[in-house]
Amino acid sequence: MKNPFFEFKDFRPKKREIPLDKIIASKEKVMDALIKAYDRLVEQEAKELVWLVSYHSVIRAYANAEKSIKDMQYGVEDIEEFLFEIENPSRLPYPIMGLCGLYISALCNHIKEKEIVLDLQNKNINLHLLGYRLPKGKRLIVYGDLGDFTGIGLNGGELLVEGNAGNWTGAGMRMGKIVVKKNVGRRTGEDMVGGEIYVEGKILGVGNVRYGRIYEKGGIVSP
Amino acid sequence: MRKSLKNIYDFISDHLYFYRPDLEINGEKYNSTLLFSLLTTVVQGKQLIVGEPGLGKTTSAEYICSVFYQIPLGTIWLSEVAGHPEQTEEKIVGRPNLGLLNKGIESVVWSNFVQLPVKIVDEINRLPETKQSIILDGVDRGNWQYLNEMFTNDEYCLFATANYQDLGTFTIIPPMLDRFDVMVESKHPGANISYLIASFYKKDELLRHEKYERELNKLLNDSKLSYEVKMERIEKVYANFSKHLEKMGLQPISKQKRKAIRNKIEDMELDLDANAFLRTLISELSFCYKYGQKRANEKCEEGCHFTGYLCHSIKNCISNRFPISVKLYAKALAWFLGDKQVNVEHIKTVAPYALSHRLQWREEFIAIYEKETRVDPLPIYLAKVAVDKVLERYGEQRESIKEALAVAYDISQGKQIAPLEGDHPIYWEIKRDLGGL
Repeated sequence: MKNPFFEFKDFRPKKREIPLDKIIASKEKVMDALIKAYDRLVEQEAKELVWLVSYHSVIRAYANAEKSIKDMQYGVEDIEEFLFEIENPSRLPYPIMGLCGLYISALCNHIKEKEIVLDLQNKNINLHLLGYRLPKGKRLIVYGDLGDFTGIGLNGGELLVEGNAGNWTGAGMRMGKIVVKKNVGRRTGEDMVGGEIYVEGKILGVGNVRYGRIYEKGGIVSP
Repeated sequence: MRKSLKNIYDFISDHLYFYRPDLEINGEKYNSTLLFSLLTTVVQGKQLIVGEPGLGKTTSAEYICSVFYQIPLGTIWLSEVAGHPEQTEEKIVGRPNLGLLNKGIESVVWSNFVQLPVKIVDEINRLPETKQSIILDGVDRGNWQYLNEMFTNDEYCLFATANYQDLGTFTIIPPMLDRFDVMVESKHPGANISYLIASFYKKDELLRHEKYERELNKLLNDSKLSYEVKMERIEKVYANFSKHLEKMGLQPISKQKRKAIRNKIEDMELDLDANAFLRTLISELSFCYKYGQKRANEKCEEGCHFTGYLCHSIKNCISNRFPISVKLYAKALAWFLGDKQVNVEHIKTVAPYALSHRLQWREEFIAIYEKETRVDPLPIYLAKVAVDKVLERYGEQRESIKEALAVAYDISQGKQIAPLEGDHPIYWEIKRDLGGL
């Protein structure tokens, strides 16, 4: 007897593509590109997987981060997704918190959206340097705690931290506003030349402030 | 050749059979009775035409056959079998040659009905059930037997007409019904066209030719002539009549051309969707999870998992003649429309007409649809509803069904993979074929 299925021997089903598949595929493509760019940054800046913060290393790393994300198409949700990947060692094996913070700062500074909300709550990461050079017109809201050098070199943007921030918060900021809902560490506002820092909790220590204002629990502490 | 066929369709619709179109295929409108009658003559099929008295059931078949086979209308009339309780095998098939019998020689005088390729049984449901069996075999295979002789038609088609049930009708026995490839209804054309028909009551004359009718009658009744000689002479008269038809602008189709058309139709292939859709349809009409297959004497169990499929709405199992009819007519339709392959649209068009007389619906299913607004008689309407439902289900999972069939092929070739799972009966049928159930 002839095989009753013979006519279908060469049939290969068309890969069914539902809109969600398309979205997921494009998101994965973006995430791959973001991770690849970060890996490149690590290769350039952390030769032996060690990265020390210095005036020059921060400027150079940020410039490289900007270069690596040039022409990249991404959205706020992609940045949030990247935050999840920081906790995933199979995807991001070298999560250096300083470089991560700078890299995310570069992503936030070059995104089209004016307001960026990042949720770090329930995440086991302590990002440093987030909010670096946040430009005028941008608003970055962070839920959760941040590490050291939060909002350094802030350039007119508004950084709202719904949690704690570490030492050197707002160091070297030029203009703009930093609001920290809980406490901040030492050297807050070190070398800042403009702008305002509002801390609703406690400030462990205020740095050498050149210009600008620092408030603690509604009261001005500098100048 | 396709043009010649279209020419026949147009000629009949312009001059002989006036109708309202009731079928739309690929954006073109057709009349189902006329279109299927034409396809029946082309594929040598068997067609049942139902309808109210006087609405052109018999005449539509007569016109189509006369033009397609180039037989004068008068000769066709003489060959028709009229259904009535007093019919006998001797009147329908043949009788002993009494002259020769007196000399002790057994010989059969075949009826015109048997000898002509055109077979029209008028009002078949006036033949009692017991007498319907007389024509059962001949209808099915084209072989007619009487005494110890057999007459085989190398070319034939059958049309039977049936009025709706009245006091003088009998039921058509299921094996006879199943032998019809398609069933159509000859509908009332509406007041305006009906008015027009009254002005053309002599239109039959177009296909009459007394001289050729006399010649043919003489030849058909000449029992001294051998079959070959008789047919050769008959063909010559047909050829002469075709010249008469040509004068009216018709392009008659010779026997050779008819054979060529049939070969072309035979060579038409179903595309994969048409193939898979037909399998899906058959599976719903034959599958039973509980008892292995549908059987008219077994009741469908309440609460069965497959109640959403057609198997739950019908009583009987679809016969193997159904896919034969559908494929044959769908191929013919695709060829007639000038399409390269048979597609789902062709199957969808043909299937209801091949199904309507073959299905016995459950009362619950009939109750849902019998009061709905419609233009078709209930059996055809229900069959259209059913085919649409299956097509909808097929549309939702066409890629999966085709993949399941492709996977089944790989498994049958020894590949160690699992058959594709699915809810539709077709997946279960595939698993059964692979020996999985």
